[in-house]
Amino acid sequence: MHRLDRIFEKSSRSLAQRTSRRSFVAVLGQVLTGSLLLPLLPIDRVNRAAAASLGPDATPAPPPHQSPAGAAHKIVSDDPQSCDYWKYCAIDGFLCSCCGGSSHSCPPGTSMSAIAWIGTCHNPGDGRDYVVTYNDCCGKTSCGNCGCNRNERERPLYRLLRNNDINWCVANADSNYHCTVSVILGLAEKDQ
Amino acid sequence: MSRCRWSAPALLLISAMAAASPAQDYVMNCRGCHGEGAEGVPGKVPPLAHTLVQFMRSPAGRSYVLRVPGASNSMLSDAQLAAVLNWIAGNFGREQLPESAPPFSLPEVAATRRMPMVSVQATRREVLKELAASGSAPREGY
Amino acid sequence: MRTSQFRAALLALLVNGSAFAAPPLAAEKFTVEPLPSPGLHWVYVVDEAFYNEIDARVRLFDGDSYRHLGQIDAGFSPGVIESPDGRTTAVTTTYYARGGHGARTDVVEFTDNSTLAAAGEIVLPPKRAQIPPTLFNLGYSADARFLYVSYITPAGSFGVLDPQDKTVLDEIDTAGCVLVIPSGPNRVSSFCDSGRLLTVTLDSQGHEAARALSDVLFDPDSDPIFVQGVPTANGYAFVSFLGQVHEVDFSGAQPSIQAPWSLVSTAERGHWRPGGTQVAAIHRQLGRLYVPMHRGGEGSHKEGGSEIWVFDLKSHRRLARWPMTPSHIGPVTAVQVSQDAAPVLFAGSDDGAVGVLDALTGQLRHLDKNLGQTPWLFLTP
Repeated sequence: MHRLDRIFEKSSRSLAQRTSRRSFVAVLGQVLTGSLLLPLLPIDRVNRAAAASLGPDATPAPPPHQSPAGAAHKIVSDDPQSCDYWKYCAIDGFLCSCCGGSSHSCPPGTSMSAIAWIGTCHNPGDGRDYVVTYNDCCGKTSCGNCGCNRNERERPLYRLLRNNDINWCVANADSNYHCTVSVILGLAEKDQ
Repeated sequence: MSRCRWSAPALLLISAMAAASPAQDYVMNCRGCHGEGAEGVPGKVPPLAHTLVQFMRSPAGRSYVLRVPGASNSMLSDAQLAAVLNWIAGNFGREQLPESAPPFSLPEVAATRRMPMVSVQATRREVLKELAASGSAPREGY
Repeated sequence: MRTSQFRAALLALLVNGSAFAAPPLAAEKFTVEPLPSPGLHWVYVVDEAFYNEIDARVRLFDGDSYRHLGQIDAGFSPGVIESPDGRTTAVTTTYYARGGHGARTDVVEFTDNSTLAAAGEIVLPPKRAQIPPTLFNLGYSADARFLYVSYITPAGSFGVLDPQDKTVLDEIDTAGCVLVIPSGPNRVSSFCDSGRLLTVTLDSQGHEAARALSDVLFDPDSDPIFVQGVPTANGYAFVSFLGQVHEVDFSGAQPSIQAPWSLVSTAERGHWRPGGTQVAAIHRQLGRLYVPMHRGGEGSHKEGGSEIWVFDLKSHRRLARWPMTPSHIGPVTAVQVSQDAAPVLFAGSDDGAVGVLDALTGQLRHLDKNLGQTPWLFLTP
C-alpha cells in the first residue's frame, strides 16, 4: 500500500518507466551519473528504527537526509531496507523487507495482493532496466516500519494503473494493508 | 472486417507496427489486474483467458472489448492495443478461436476504441446474451 | 476576629500546619463535556493514522482557543465530508470483523456535529474506494437529498444513497472514471483518464437519467491535475502538477470549463510546484487562493511546500509568498482556510504538525503537534 509518510524519504531517482503513448521504452527519467552503489548510511537505520518505535502521539524525528525536493538526489542503495534501493523507484508504503518479508516476498501470515501496478526501474548495478510489480501484502494491520514514498511517473487516481495511493489489497478477501513489495518480473524491453 | 486468417504473418505484421512486444505490453498494461495467466480475480476482475476469444466472435463483442475502460483508456497506441489483444487471444485460448473471429485490425481499433461506453456491466450482459444465443459465450459471473 | 473563628483558624492551623488552610475541594460531577456552540475557526482534521491505518480519526479543533474539542472515529482509509448544513459529518470507511482482518463491512457513518455522538449508518456493498481522503471520496447533493460514495473494485462506479432514510438507492457504473464531484442538482461528475469529466444526471429516485462527457479539461499526459479540488463560488478549482489552475463552473446544465491560468511564471514553471494531500484552499468572499509550493521536479507532487503562495482569484496576481521555515513549520502538505471575515489558514505539514496562521498576513499564531499522525485533509464549515 502506498501512502505519504511522515518520515518522508524523498529521492529523485532515475526511473525507467514508460512515458509516451506511442512507444514502449524503458525511459530513464534522470540518468544516474555513475553506477556507484553506496551502502546504507547508518543514520537511515537509526531513524527508521526510531520511527518504528514511535507511538501515534509521539512527535516524529525530522526526516533523514531531507534534500531540497526534486534536487538531483543521486544516492542509490543496495540495501533492500532502504527507500533508495533501486527496485523501489516508485514505491509508496512500508517495505515488507522490514516487516518479516523481503523485497519480493510477503511477511509470514499475510496474503499477496491479487492486483498490483507494474513499472520499470533502472538497476545501476548492472546497467539494466527491469520490469517490477508493486504488490501489497494484505490481511494484517499497518506494519509501520520503513515507510517510503517515491512517485516517479506516478499519476492520480484517474490513471489507476499508474497510481500508488490506492490500497492494492482491494481485490483480496482480507483487504487490510500491511506492507509493499517490489518483484522483478524480467528485463524491460528496449525500444526497437 | 478483415477476413484474413489467424496466421503468423498477420500477427507479425501487427506486432511490427507496434513499438514493442505485445507480451511486454500485456505485462505493463493488463497483467496488474488481469493476472499473469489472464485469469482475472473472481468477483473483481474478469478473466481474459479463454474468454476474450469468445467476445471476438461478434461485432458487438469486439466493440465491447475495444471500448472497455482498461483497453480504451490504456496508454497503448491503437496499433499496440490491436497487437496485445491479438496476443492475448492467441496465447490464452487459441484453440477456441473460431474462423469467424479474425484478429483485430488497426482500422477497427481506431474506429471503435474511443466511442464511450455508458455502462460496462450492462453492455457486457447484453453482449453475453447475444453471444449465448448464437453459440458459446463467456459466463456472466466471474 | 470572633472567638469561634479564631478557634477554627487555630484548629485549621494545627491540622494543616498552614496559616492559610483552604477549604477542601468540592466533590466533582462526572459528566460528558458538551460541545460549545461552533466557532468561526473550527476545523475537522482528518488523520489517516497511516502507521495504524485501521484507527483513522477526525479531530475537531478550535483555531481560536487551540483546544482539541473532540474526535470522530473513522476506521480504515476513510472519506470524510460535512453535510451542506454543517450539522452532520459523514464518514465512509471499512471495518474488519476482527480489527485487522475478517469479514469486510463498508459503511457510511453519520455523526451529529452538535454532540459528536453517532447518528446512524448505512451499510454499503464492500466496494468503496480505499484511497487517501479527498473532497470527492463521498459527497452530498446540494439539497442533501442524495449522498454519493466513490467505489473502486478496481472497476469504477459510485453508490447513490438516501441519507435521510439511510438506504442505498443504486450503483452507477462510471466506465473507469473515478470519484464523485457533486456538480449540480442531481448531478455527479467523475474524473476520466481522457482528461474529461463524466457527468451523470440522476432522476428523483437516484437512478441514472442521462450522462455526458465534457470537453477536455486537462491533459493527463503533459500536465495532470490533482484530484483535490477546492470549492469556488460557482464550482470547483483544480490545480495541476505544473501549477495551472483549472476552474470549472458547475452552475449551468453542463460543466463550463474556464480558461486555465498559471500560478507560476515561465521561469518558475517546472521548478516551483504545488504538492501534498490538500493542495489548495480558497476564501470565496475575499477571492483568495492559497497553495503550498515546493521546488521540485517530476515525482515531487506529494512533497510539501516550503512556501505558501497567495493569489487573487480575479486578477490571478500573486499577492504573497509566505516562507514556512521561519515559523518552524515543516513542508506543508495540506491547506484550508476559514470563510469568515478574519480568516485563519490551517497548514498541515508532513511531520504531523499543524500551523494556524493569520490568513491575511501569513503570521503564525500557533503550532500544534498533536493533531494526528498524518493530518491529510482539513474541512471547515
